[in-house]
Amino acid sequence: MLQALVNTAGRLLDDLNRSILRGRAAAPAAPGKYQALQRVILTDEVARTLFEEYAAHREGTRGEEETGWMLLGLRERSEAVVLATLPAGADCNAGVAHVRFNSNAQALGSRIVRQADRRLTTLGLVHTHPGSLRHPSDGDYRGDSVWVGHLRGGDGVFGIGTVDAGPDGDPVFARQPKPHVQCWADMRLSWYGLRQADRGYRPLDYAITLGPDLARPLHPVWSTLEAHAEPLDRLYRQQARVTFEVVAGQREPALAVDVSLAEPGNSVRVLLEGTDVRYFVRLEGELLAADSQESRADRGVYLLLAELAAQR
Amino acid sequence: MDFRPLNDTERRQLINALRGNADSDRAILIDRRDTSFAGTADEVTDEEVISAIKSVPCHY
Repeated sequence: MLQALVNTAGRLLDDLNRSILRGRAAAPAAPGKYQALQRVILTDEVARTLFEEYAAHREGTRGEEETGWMLLGLRERSEAVVLATLPAGADCNAGVAHVRFNSNAQALGSRIVRQADRRLTTLGLVHTHPGSLRHPSDGDYRGDSVWVGHLRGGDGVFGIGTVDAGPDGDPVFARQPKPHVQCWADMRLSWYGLRQADRGYRPLDYAITLGPDLARPLHPVWSTLEAHAEPLDRLYRQQARVTFEVVAGQREPALAVDVSLAEPGNSVRVLLEGTDVRYFVRLEGELLAADSQESRADRGVYLLLAELAAQR
Repeated sequence: MDFRPLNDTERRQLINALRGNADSDRAILIDRRDTSFAGTADEVTDEEVISAIKSVPCHY
């Protein structure tokens, strides 16, 4: 009997060990799971966004200034798949020879994009250079070599945009004159990788695959997002069930923010169009406009919630 | 416990998590307080992403 008990205990211990070991095999990503990036993969829509918005930027009133995009996507073992671009923003600090992104808007943009896919992470960024400076500068290296410590695998993707494609560019389609260079019309994007402790950037091969730019729907409302980034970010962090979507506005696309109420289907909706802010309450399938002049979205929502609570 | 139908995003995330578990043995995380679905091991936290975005240096 004692022997049977010992055997049973032994089997249970074996099962427990196997269970623990199997659990370890599926544990969250450890830093060692990543190798140095061998390649960056852009979706076709991401590549289009970069070239189209670079061209549009050059034609704008601030066309002489540098610009850029934050890149979000999937960090795989030795590849980065770029699935979303977050613009530098009109409120970025930029000049002929520098650009500092509006990180408040990009932070909120990342929250909105990641609503649908929580695997998306920060992969790197693209910024433009004047003239034919196709390589990141020494100043870029000083900042980036520290910043890559925030990225998965300690390795980042860096794109440099220049307007010097010359004979490498074709106005109809994009060419790839080198494994790490992409040219379209007069524009050139040169791709580099940089790891922590590297002494310099290395050229990074790129490839194109079919897929979306998950942040592209946000680009038409980016100025709205910049105008309200701070209160919306506070609201998102304070309330558990806040969702965002881009909808048709009165004059232009608008950003809709929904805050779920306790009763299923009921919510407070904030509609943001430029600096305009309008409030609605959805109660039992009916959408009612709220008479509120509050320009700060988080405060407007809390005032409405207080009013709704008082009516119960 | 919050008994309510999943919305589209939550349903998609749960299906992806179940598929990843069945196909690739990826872990499904549960909330230790109420055992509700808390994502998968492949997910990245908001804090990690926001920290990287807020730390981007000036580029030249």
